[in-house]
Amino acid sequence: MSEVKRPDTVMAAEYALGLLEGEELLAARAREPSDGAFAAEVAQWQDRLAPLADDIDPRMPRAEVWAKIEAVMGADAGTAQVVSLRRKVRRWQWVGGISAAAAVALAVFALPLRQAPDSPSGTIASGPALTQPPLAANMPIEGTPLRLDLTYLPDAHSLLVTAVGLSADGVHDHEIWLVPDEGELISLGVVTPGEVTAHEVPIEVAPRIHGGSQLLLTREPLGGKPPQAEAGPVVAEARFTAI
Amino acid sequence: MRGRLLMQRASKAARDKLKAAMSRLARGESAALEDVYRATAAKLFGICLRILKDEKEAEDALQDVYLTLWRRADRYDPERASPIAWLATFARNRAIDRLRTGKVRGGAVPEDNAAAVPDGNPAADAMLIDEEREARVHSCLEELDETPREAIRSAFFEGRTYAELAERQNVPLGTMKSWIRRGLAKLKACMEAGE
Repeated sequence: MSEVKRPDTVMAAEYALGLLEGEELLAARAREPSDGAFAAEVAQWQDRLAPLADDIDPRMPRAEVWAKIEAVMGADAGTAQVVSLRRKVRRWQWVGGISAAAAVALAVFALPLRQAPDSPSGTIASGPALTQPPLAANMPIEGTPLRLDLTYLPDAHSLLVTAVGLSADGVHDHEIWLVPDEGELISLGVVTPGEVTAHEVPIEVAPRIHGGSQLLLTREPLGGKPPQAEAGPVVAEARFTAI
Repeated sequence: MRGRLLMQRASKAARDKLKAAMSRLARGESAALEDVYRATAAKLFGICLRILKDEKEAEDALQDVYLTLWRRADRYDPERASPIAWLATFARNRAIDRLRTGKVRGGAVPEDNAAAVPDGNPAADAMLIDEEREARVHSCLEELDETPREAIRSAFFEGRTYAELAERQNVPLGTMKSWIRRGLAKLKACMEAGE
């Protein structure tokens, strides 16, 4: 596509309006978190356009909607209210419990892990066997109660993808993308539904992953994005945080 | 005159109450979500329904909006926009994401099946984003030519993409993009003239 290059503010407007699709959408989404000026333009457009929503008649949702929200909150309460340290520890236990691949990777970190309960502010990273802290990301999948859990183990060059609970629809695959601070999106592989899989992360990609790195999940034909095709729609996104 | 003043006062009170509920939520007070919901659900459901055109989908989107808000209440920056403007944008974006995941056929249930807001519902009356109808976007949109104006409205209210708008107007994609981009540039100039 060879349109005339448009100014950033117009790109921010078309992104805020939701006009973009495919690669253009991915490009704008990738830019928002890494480019403060662009993000500010997007926010400004959203604020400017928001008053249009006053033209939409309000509708009362059925009482069941709030009941459902409350039910989910109740079920989640235990998870949502734990302090971050307990969350860290639990995630470790959970990672350790899920697969042999994870267990092998985890062995590397066994010593620092044991320190975690007593260390209030993330001294995990300073443990002797560990040079870089692992990163975790949690991707709720739009429109479903399902989520994809990603754990990146830098020292093992490994990305553990937990897709338990997800099932294949026989028509699509889902592909994980890293949004690097600069440059094109980098594929981190295709999700294997229903399993925990370890994806090898190439050495040249590893330095581009850090706490705060954005990840996208796109829906693709079986086998992942064909080389010549545009990426499919983004169905989920998340960011890595150090654990 | 007196009635209008009373209404404004009621509406300011509702806004302050919403702001307070959002702050409580951000501090981790889960109970505040119900206050936010009571004050804003009718407005946000209206937005979701308008975009998704399916009551069930709109309900799911609405549920998703409030649960995300609950889990990530820190996302809202009180410095930036009014809470209701921010929530409206959030709901619209969520509904559009949902539309794009392709599950929604659209129009399966007529919009009218959703229960209308009972008369005199104070929350629904009070929660206007643009209290005084003074936002430039209304008048500036009117200044655009009909084609870009209707395309931009259709993108905002129905969540249409460039490709869909081009198809509907039966023009090449590039043409539609040029029309809208020119319209957006003009819209920006007009809005900034009044800021």
